[in-house]
Amino acid sequence: MSSLEVRALTKSFGGLKAVDRVSFSVRSGELLGLIGPNGSGKTTVLNMLSGHLKPDGGEILLDGEPVHGRTPEWAARHGLLRMFQLTRVFRRMTTLDNLMTAGCALGLSYADAQERAHQLVTDLKLERLATSDAGELSGGQQKLLEFGCCFMVPPRIALLDEPFAAVHPTMKEIMAGFIRREHAAGQTFLLVSHDMPVIVELCPRTICMNAGLVLADGETRAVLNDRQVIEAYLGSATA
Amino acid sequence: MRSHQRLRHEFAGSLGLLALVALAPAVVTNDYWLGVLIVSMYFALLSAGWNLLAGYTGQFSLAPATFAMIGAYGTGLLAYHWNIPPWIGIPAGILVAGLIGAALGRIVMRLRGPYLALTTLSFAEIMRIVIGNSYEFTRGDLGLSVPGLTDVRLAWYYVFLAIVVLVQIGLYALLKSRAGLYLQAIRDDEIGAASRGVDTVFWKTASFTISTAISGLAGVLYAHFSQLVSPELGLILQSGLVICMVFIGGIGSLIGPLIGAFLVYLSSEALREVGGIQLIVFSILVILVARFFREGLWGLVRRLMKERAA
Repeated sequence: MSSLEVRALTKSFGGLKAVDRVSFSVRSGELLGLIGPNGSGKTTVLNMLSGHLKPDGGEILLDGEPVHGRTPEWAARHGLLRMFQLTRVFRRMTTLDNLMTAGCALGLSYADAQERAHQLVTDLKLERLATSDAGELSGGQQKLLEFGCCFMVPPRIALLDEPFAAVHPTMKEIMAGFIRREHAAGQTFLLVSHDMPVIVELCPRTICMNAGLVLADGETRAVLNDRQVIEAYLGSATA
Repeated sequence: MRSHQRLRHEFAGSLGLLALVALAPAVVTNDYWLGVLIVSMYFALLSAGWNLLAGYTGQFSLAPATFAMIGAYGTGLLAYHWNIPPWIGIPAGILVAGLIGAALGRIVMRLRGPYLALTTLSFAEIMRIVIGNSYEFTRGDLGLSVPGLTDVRLAWYYVFLAIVVLVQIGLYALLKSRAGLYLQAIRDDEIGAASRGVDTVFWKTASFTISTAISGLAGVLYAHFSQLVSPELGLILQSGLVICMVFIGGIGSLIGPLIGAFLVYLSSEALREVGGIQLIVFSILVILVARFFREGLWGLVRRLMKERAA
């Protein structure tokens, strides 16, 4: 059964077609990779999925229900939770309070949110920093914290934008391990990354975008060996 | 949790400070200085209200004193034109300030930083000029006489003190709850807060409403205390004083606005004899605070305590 369906999604910025009639679907319980060179439109797609941008055209259906053009709050409350490429944490609030905010806003009771926040802090190995202000955390730790905020209440689809960029390998492993475990338990993911080894390791299926278009969509190895995909990254042989 | 602990310390500290204020009449017996302390408490209310909006929600309004003026005219006009007694006038004044605050909050909802500040600044000036020029209804710059409740200064002193304590308790309860999480999340990163499901429109409006209602409360009390309201209550200078108080005391802490209000108002009284240099002194203080210790005097106290503990 298809969980998220994107149909002919289009977005232009001035004369630039950032996303050009993009269609794909994410099945429930799937861990789908989204790759592509810089400027290919990956983040724009994510922005439309999470309500941060209104599409110029096309549809986004979540379990058959249209969800495009809604607000970020609405998207979050309907289970489309995202992590940003440029980390967004609440800098003057503690690690635990950052997590609690996400939990309470998504409907957990205060006590439940507290319990879940403590559990996530342990899972993500942030115990030592639980009562530090988020602004005092390192860049990687902040990413880990933002990652955690997406899982206070298991989302219908976790939209992760470059979670591994500029993150220490140890923390990358913590995140990858968390993704593997949650995926095994049935969590659905859309993972944007430039980190090919991680994509190969984690994602059975991958979509590659370039210049606003979907170049390839299929089994990850096959996508990475696709001639068009290689050309998009390295330039065409005839050029 | 550390943030709760921090809040608890600030709350305990502010109760301690107010306990000192409660004992002050044992030493301060002349009416003039009691009056000065009462006005300090008026500013403490304004500062506490503005701090909720600016310090905890990140919405930098430049109109705290305007809402005190609105509240004061609310009860003042009801009494002047229709002989409405204060026990109706007071809640009505608070309600009017809160409702206008909510409306202003909705209007500036999508504005940030300097745009928000400038819009509230224009609102403040428009309100003051409208009230000043509506001579037939408000008696304009002549001001409006308002019935007093009692002439016993000491009674007023404890009424103001009780209200400051109640407002502090209310703010503490609010900030300790999930609302405190949402407001601070909006302050730190509004887009981030929305992305985690926080209803930013609702909570920003709520913060505007509560903050302006507290200003209105300060205004109605002041109106019945001084028995006179005039557009001067809403001067930009007054709002500027409130902002100085919060910055000097420590923005974004529960106790900072109280420290700032007493310190700034008492020293402005002490500086009265040297003429108009008060604002120069306070402006320099604000610049120093902004440059060297962003968390104000309370932040300095905390830093010193931490160093001693270490």
